[in-house]
Amino acid sequence: MKDEETGSWWQQVTGEAIFGPLKGKSLKPAFMDELTFATWKSEQPQGRVLSPDEKIAAKGEYAPPDWEDRMSRVPVATQVSAPTLDQRELVVGITVNNASGAYPVAALQKQNPIIDKLAGTPLVIVLGEDGKSIRAFDRTVEGHEREFFLKPNSAPLRLIDDKGTEWDFTGTALNGTLTGKQLTKIAVLKDYWFDWKTYNPKTTVYTLGER
Amino acid sequence: MDDILAETRSGTAGRIGRRMIWLLLPLLLLLSLTLVIVPVFLIQPFRPQTQRALEISYVLRDWSPLATVIMLVAAFALVVRQWARARRWWRKTLLVVLLLLTFVPAWFARQNHFEWMFNPLRNSAYVKAKDASFVRDSDMVLAVKINNEAVAYPVRLMAYHHVVSDVVGGTPICATY
Repeated sequence: MKDEETGSWWQQVTGEAIFGPLKGKSLKPAFMDELTFATWKSEQPQGRVLSPDEKIAAKGEYAPPDWEDRMSRVPVATQVSAPTLDQRELVVGITVNNASGAYPVAALQKQNPIIDKLAGTPLVIVLGEDGKSIRAFDRTVEGHEREFFLKPNSAPLRLIDDKGTEWDFTGTALNGTLTGKQLTKIAVLKDYWFDWKTYNPKTTVYTLGER
Repeated sequence: MDDILAETRSGTAGRIGRRMIWLLLPLLLLLSLTLVIVPVFLIQPFRPQTQRALEISYVLRDWSPLATVIMLVAAFALVVRQWARARRWWRKTLLVVLLLLTFVPAWFARQNHFEWMFNPLRNSAYVKAKDASFVRDSDMVLAVKINNEAVAYPVRLMAYHHVVSDVVGGTPICATY
């Protein structure tokens, strides 16, 4: 991306200026969730949504609904060495304390939630009930690490921890003395493996059965 | 008659100079074109780019608006110089054509051709969540919430625009995909 004020070129994924007067500077990341529209709308009924440009929509140039499926078949330009996953495999990318971890979406679909520890930070990664929205939280509650499980047969989705506290998909406690308390959100980037690996060459890759 | 006089005055040097102009003009055009074409070639979608290629492209994009105009002015000067000497109509035509062609890179250097493929949304518009009929429930959105203001950027729109500038909860943000 290029800014119009200084003409510097910015790297999209990292937010770092790579050429121009601002080279070496970084944009402050804003916390972002990648959710299905239904999940977002249920959480933020008062929110606003970017609308299409009428001219572009009329020309039919916006991405079609099955765009993600189509993209998964586009050849990859950047070759990552010794791929452990398919180049176009979707991963949940997480960076904490300068360490990066990749959690294949396919693994999360089989085992929900994923419990892990990355560079000392205890993590819980949750796939929403829509099967597409993904969030991650720090499992530290009141200074102690907790284990999280999916509460069986619950709709909407509920997590339950080893102390009996129930949490919803936003990471808010629903019962007991913690009611209303919020788990610390961890930024996730749903990304293709080749892309994640390019920007995070030292990334670890989570495999099922690791724990 | 004039032609002969001019030739006798400047002698052999004049003849070489005249030939040089016919060599210089296309050379200027070629150089000018190279300046603007190289970044297009180096930064192609779906092709890997190296740090070095990006560096070259950045420098060329930075200098080409000025450099192409300098070459255009030089080409103009050469054409003016050669105009009176070019007796044949097709030589004059060729001069005009070469000069006109030199305008092309000068114009191109002023275009952000990357935006021809990736259209940033300059005047972004928003609707309330309940009125967003263009997004399906199963479509993915990039969701940002700052100071209690929540905004969703549908991925299908972001996959086209790639960059949208916005202010959310008082914080200026740049949403990218």
